[in-house]
Amino acid sequence: MSSISELQKKIRNATQLRITSSGDDFDDELLNMSSYSGVVEYFPEELVITLKAGTPIKEAKQVLAKNKQAFSFFVDDSDQSIGSIYSTSGAELSDSVLGIQIINGKGDLLNFGGQVMKNVAGYDVSRLLVGSLGKLAVITQISFKVLPEQVFNRLEKKQLKKKTESPIKNEIEKKLKSVFDPYGVFI
Amino acid sequence: MSIISQLTKSLPKNTVISGSENIRPFECDGLSVYKQEPLAVVLPSEVSQIKKVLEICRKHNTPVVTRGAGTGLSGGAMPLKDSVVLGLSKLTKVISINPEARSAVVQPGVRNLAISEAAEEYGLYYAPDPSSQIACTIGGNVAENAGGVHCLKYGLTVQNIESLKMLTIDGDEIVLSREDDGLGLLALMTGSEGLLGVITEVTVKLTPKPELAKLVMAGFDSVRDCADAVADIIKNGIIPAGLEMMDAFAIEAAEDFAKPGYPLDAKALLLCELDGSIDLVNNDVSEVNNLLSKATSIRVSQSEEERLLLWKGRKSAFPAVGRLSPDYYCMDGTIPKRHLGDVLEEINQLSRQYNLRVANVFHAGDGNLHPLILYDAGIPGELEKTEELGNKILKFCVEAGGSITGEHGVGVEKLDAMCYQYSEAELDVFHQIKAAFDPHSLLNPGKAVPTLHRCAELGKMHVHHGNLPHPELERF
Repeated sequence: MSSISELQKKIRNATQLRITSSGDDFDDELLNMSSYSGVVEYFPEELVITLKAGTPIKEAKQVLAKNKQAFSFFVDDSDQSIGSIYSTSGAELSDSVLGIQIINGKGDLLNFGGQVMKNVAGYDVSRLLVGSLGKLAVITQISFKVLPEQVFNRLEKKQLKKKTESPIKNEIEKKLKSVFDPYGVFI
Repeated sequence: MSIISQLTKSLPKNTVISGSENIRPFECDGLSVYKQEPLAVVLPSEVSQIKKVLEICRKHNTPVVTRGAGTGLSGGAMPLKDSVVLGLSKLTKVISINPEARSAVVQPGVRNLAISEAAEEYGLYYAPDPSSQIACTIGGNVAENAGGVHCLKYGLTVQNIESLKMLTIDGDEIVLSREDDGLGLLALMTGSEGLLGVITEVTVKLTPKPELAKLVMAGFDSVRDCADAVADIIKNGIIPAGLEMMDAFAIEAAEDFAKPGYPLDAKALLLCELDGSIDLVNNDVSEVNNLLSKATSIRVSQSEEERLLLWKGRKSAFPAVGRLSPDYYCMDGTIPKRHLGDVLEEINQLSRQYNLRVANVFHAGDGNLHPLILYDAGIPGELEKTEELGNKILKFCVEAGGSITGEHGVGVEKLDAMCYQYSEAELDVFHQIKAAFDPHSLLNPGKAVPTLHRCAELGKMHVHHGNLPHPELERF
C-alpha cells in the first residue's frame, strides 16, 4: 500500500482491519503501513517535519540529525514506524504534534491541525488520536515540531502513562471511536 | 417555575444576577462588537453550585455559556439569547503549590498572573503569558488554549497543564491527566471553547525562573530582511524565549505611546529575548548578534530595566495603535514563517485596496500574525468592510498553509473563516465530537464550529494546505 487511494479502497472494502507495520499486503484483515513511508516536507528553519506514518523512526532521526535537530520526545532507535509510536504514546509525544492526516473508517481522507506551532481552529484532533492504538482511524501522515539538538539535550525525561479507570471516560472514548469509525472496521 | 426563580431559590444570595441593567456588563467579552444579553448570569463560588446550575439548565433545556474574566477576543464567552452565563470568576483559590513536582493546583477563576505571583517564593512561574494575563483566568486559558509571546520556547497552555477536573453537562466529574492511557482527552478539552464541559480545577506546570534574560533589538530596512533573520536564528539552533516583529506603522505608534527608544527609520523591528543560565544567555546573545548581518541597528538590553522598557513598546502596541483610530480589529492568523514576506505584501495590498490602515505585530517565532485593522465603527458600512478585509487575510493565511486562529479562538467571530480551513467531512467530525460530550447541545452551542449549512450558504471555498480546488482555473 503506497498510495492514499489504495489505502482508502482497502478500508472501504474491509469489514475488519488491523493496522500494522508488517505482514502480507494481500491479507484482507491486515493493513500494513510499512511501505507508506518517507519525509513529506521538512523545513529546518520552521522546526517542522512532516512524515508518512510508515517511516521508521531511525530514518526520521537521521534526516533530522543532518540539520542538528531532533524530536522533542524520547524514543529508542528502532525499526518501529513513526505511526506506531504515535498510536501508542501519550502526552509527552503529543506536545510536539502539530497536525495529522487520517483516513477514517468510512474511507474519508481528513486533515486536522497543520504545520504551524499555533492553531486553535477546531478541536485538537491531532493530539486526541495520540495513543488511539489504531482503533479509530488510519494515521497516514504526521507533522511534528522538532528542536535543535542542543535544546533537546537539556530536556528531562518525563513520566510514563498510567492505567486509568473511569466508566464515564470509557463511555466518552467509546462514543469518540464511533465518530471516527462508525462501522467498527478497525480492531 | 421560571429558570431564574429556580436558580435564585437553589443558590446562595447574590449568586444569580438578572434584569437588563445588571447583566449588561456580561453582554460581551473582549470582542465588544458582538453583544447579546443572556437570561441571567450566575456567579457560583463552589463546585457544588456549578453542578446545581448545570442540573437546572438541563431541566429547562437552557444553554450554558461558561465565562472566565471575559477578556477573550473572539466572542467565545459572548452570551447566547435565552442562555445562562456561568461566570467562574469567584473560584479564585490557589489550592496547593508543589515546588518539588513544579506544579500548582488552582481553581478555574484564578488569574494567570496570580499563579506566577503565588509561585514566586519558590523561584517558579507559570510560563504562558497572554497579553491579558493580569486579568484573564486559567479556566479561560485552558478553554482557549491561550498563548502569548513565549510560546516558541515554552509552549501554549496545552503543553503547560498536568491535569484538569471537569464536569460534563450531566454533572459528572472526570479527571483528565497527562499520565492517562487511552485517547488524548486532556488535549481535546484544551481549546474546546466551553463546548465540551465545564473546567472546575486545573493543575498547571510551573517553570523555574531563568537566571538571566536579555533582549536583543534590531532594526531592518525591509520586512523580508527581518524575516530572514528570524529563520537564520532558528536554523542556527537558538530557540529564543520570545521573538517578535513589528512593521513601520506599529513601530511608530509604539514609540509614540511608550517611548522605549525604537528606531523610527526602521521598516521592521525584531525583538529577540534570550533566557536561561548566565553563560548560555551571553553565548546566545553574541551568536544572535553575529547572525543579524542585515540589521541597520542593534541594541542589547544592559539591565532588567532596559529589557522591560524595550518590551513595553511591543506589549502596548495594541493600545498604542488604538490611539490612532476610533476602533481597531485584531486578527490572529498563523502561517509557516517562510511565507511571512509574501503574506505581509498581500496584507499591504489589501490595506490599500480597502483604504483601511493595517498595523502589523507578530509572534514571528511561531508564525502568529496580529494585523490590526484601523477603522471607524461610526461610519456606516466600515465595520462590514473591515470584516471583509479580515476574512481575506485569514483566507490568505490558510492558502499559505497556516490557520485562521493561533491563540484567540474561533468563538462567534471566525465561524465563516472556519469554512476555509476545514472540509465538510472534517467539520462533521467536530460536530460529532461535540455530540459525544453534549448530545443536547447545551454547552455554548453554535460557537467554534460552523454548521455545514452556514458554509454551504456562504459558498465558501475550502482551501486546504495551500491547494485550491481546481488549481487549473484562473482566479481574481
